[in-house]
Amino acid sequence: MHKKQKRDIFLFILGGVVLYFISGMVDELRVYQGASIAVYVIAISSIILLTGYSGQVSLGHGALMAVGAYAAAVARIEFNLPIILCFVVAVLASAIGGALLGAAAARLSGPYLAGTTLALAIGLPSLANQFSVLGGEQGLLFDVGFPPLSLGEEFTQYKWFFWIAGLAALISMWVVKNILSSRYGRTWRAIRGNEVAAQLSGINIARSKILAFTISAGIAGLAGALLSMTIGTVSPSAFPLALSFSLLTGAVISGITTLSGAMIGAVVLVAIPEIADVVAHRIGSSEGVTTNLPGFLVSAILIVTVLFVPDGPVEQHRARSAKKLAHKK
Amino acid sequence: MKAMNRRKLITVSAVLAAVSLAVTAVPAQAAEVGVSSTEIKLGMTLPMTGTASLGYNKIPGAAKAYFDYLNANGGINGRKVTLVVKDDRYVPTEAVAKTNELILKDKVMALLAPLGTANVKAVAASVNPGRRGVPVLFVNTGFSGFADAKKYPTTYAVLPSYIMEAKVMGQYIKENFAGKKIGLLYQDDDFGSDALAGFKTAGVTFAVKVPYASGSQGAAAAAGWITKFKAAEADVVILFGVSSATSAMLGVAAQLKYAPQWMLGSVGGDATTIKLTGVPAGVLYNAIGFSPVPATTDMKDEYVKLFSDIYAKAVPGSTFDLNVLLGMNSAFMAAQALKAAGPNPTRKSLLAAIDSKGSTFANSALVPLGYSKTSHVGLTGYWVGKYSPTGDLSPIGGSYVTYTTDSGAGAVVKSTYVRPAMPAKGLPN
Repeated sequence: MHKKQKRDIFLFILGGVVLYFISGMVDELRVYQGASIAVYVIAISSIILLTGYSGQVSLGHGALMAVGAYAAAVARIEFNLPIILCFVVAVLASAIGGALLGAAAARLSGPYLAGTTLALAIGLPSLANQFSVLGGEQGLLFDVGFPPLSLGEEFTQYKWFFWIAGLAALISMWVVKNILSSRYGRTWRAIRGNEVAAQLSGINIARSKILAFTISAGIAGLAGALLSMTIGTVSPSAFPLALSFSLLTGAVISGITTLSGAMIGAVVLVAIPEIADVVAHRIGSSEGVTTNLPGFLVSAILIVTVLFVPDGPVEQHRARSAKKLAHKK
Repeated sequence: MKAMNRRKLITVSAVLAAVSLAVTAVPAQAAEVGVSSTEIKLGMTLPMTGTASLGYNKIPGAAKAYFDYLNANGGINGRKVTLVVKDDRYVPTEAVAKTNELILKDKVMALLAPLGTANVKAVAASVNPGRRGVPVLFVNTGFSGFADAKKYPTTYAVLPSYIMEAKVMGQYIKENFAGKKIGLLYQDDDFGSDALAGFKTAGVTFAVKVPYASGSQGAAAAAGWITKFKAAEADVVILFGVSSATSAMLGVAAQLKYAPQWMLGSVGGDATTIKLTGVPAGVLYNAIGFSPVPATTDMKDEYVKLFSDIYAKAVPGSTFDLNVLLGMNSAFMAAQALKAAGPNPTRKSLLAAIDSKGSTFANSALVPLGYSKTSHVGLTGYWVGKYSPTGDLSPIGGSYVTYTTDSGAGAVVKSTYVRPAMPAKGLPN
């Protein structure tokens, strides 16, 4: 094994151990929020892969998450598959969906692609209303079961969710990171940089774009299945248009080309409503302010990010230290 | 250099994770979560922003108005009742997150009137108030399933179920529109299938049934529905959908001068909400409607009079409508449940109080409550009314005729229930 890879594996395992200890130290609410953060990390990394690396915009990742969530729930309910296989089914189902979408997307770009994926985000979740096997408006229960008894009586459901989601996040970040530094990752960056030049150097543009969509969709599907695990159900209303938008917001705040920044976006998405709550309480404001403050704060952070750190805080920091280093030399 | 950065980034990520999970000290617990010597804390999640919030966002203000009135008059055995409200935007994920905050961070004693079938289901599955022993009082949905005391041991319904409503409608049709051609507009999901089940039990045969997919309702769709009702020559058209479907239908019907005998389900039948969408009030004139609580304009009703006075002082300038009345009614019922739970209420004693005394709780509804040890069914029927030229629902012939039934195969009977007098000053006795 390459030396670098070894070190990376070590760091990811270390991350897992750190998360494990944290999960034992904090109260249940934080554990639940930790699980939500892990889910968002996965979802945002799928957008970073697609938009940041292959240069394709998707406003419809919420719909791909819904595909994964429904696939996992149906696999659980109808076929009674073990939970790990349900997640595999989720990845496969949404990857197939992503491949189909990718085939269309490869012919589109810019606003046309954004429009197509937007339509998907609006239309797809409500399609579930039309099939009774998908449970209509109320949706399906998605029960991953209680944590194994060997973990002890005190081990809560949310800690179990956090472990599953945290492990999934670590694994998928690891996979995405490796894909991005592989030949495919370089191919995508070439396409994003200049399609014509990439084509001239022998890259099959359409195939590469479809592949990016497929992988990104598969990861989004995993995030969808995990999201529905944390809320115990799958229903069309759990995947609104606002979800797709907030993921994109998270990705921009993370730095759309920085995978390791996904954490920042995810934390922001989960923490903002709570921070807004505290702020609203401090200033003792009216209900109107309290209910609109989270949306306002996220928008403000988005604008500030775009204005001052368009590539995201991590990228900015990296560029600055690279500059400093160059100066020293 | 690159490797060093990567390590730094991962460290940063790990630190961020730690920060995000920052430990919050858990305060020492009192006798019961959410109950101190001076305060009882309740929590509510519902859509306060977004498209689904129209009308519903008045409920917290209404409930708080009642609790403020209660607190000004001594509260519950000297404890004041406070309500923590969180916006779930009608999204199940949000409902779960906010309910977790209410239970784990705000430490409320019980949840009050959470709204929306999918949301309440998600909360039941993930947060699992049943296992935690957290009471979920008076859920704001007509889905009959939440009355199942085995499946949702701490959850109590309050609205009559959609099945009950369809059965009452069916009975009214039999008595008044025998031999007429009946048309039905319904939502193509569980909301609609509950309705179909109720109509089937009531033995109603339809000349035409028009389903619509949730989200598809609009003026263009409504024109299509009207074509179908016209083709079937329906004399009576039942609109058993959400407000936006009712509004679209009535708006387009007014333009096309299509005027069958309308019959409106209670979900989409709130006149204030329909009028807000621009439908002229006159279109509602003579339509038949159903409600478990008195007409909101009936100032002769002691509850409506008191509640509207309290609301007008607390939220000046806001219309007293069905959402407000139901919100205050749930708050009033919660106050009685807390009072009945003893001098030092606990979650357990609160649940026990509703099981044993819930069916006798005073409230504004004109139909009985169905709570018992084995049943968490709330209100069990409706009165039938007609809309006035100004769009207000009032009882036919000036006096309330109520029907009661269940969500099963039970008959629909004209109710002899006489609502007990309101406790003095509208405070729990």
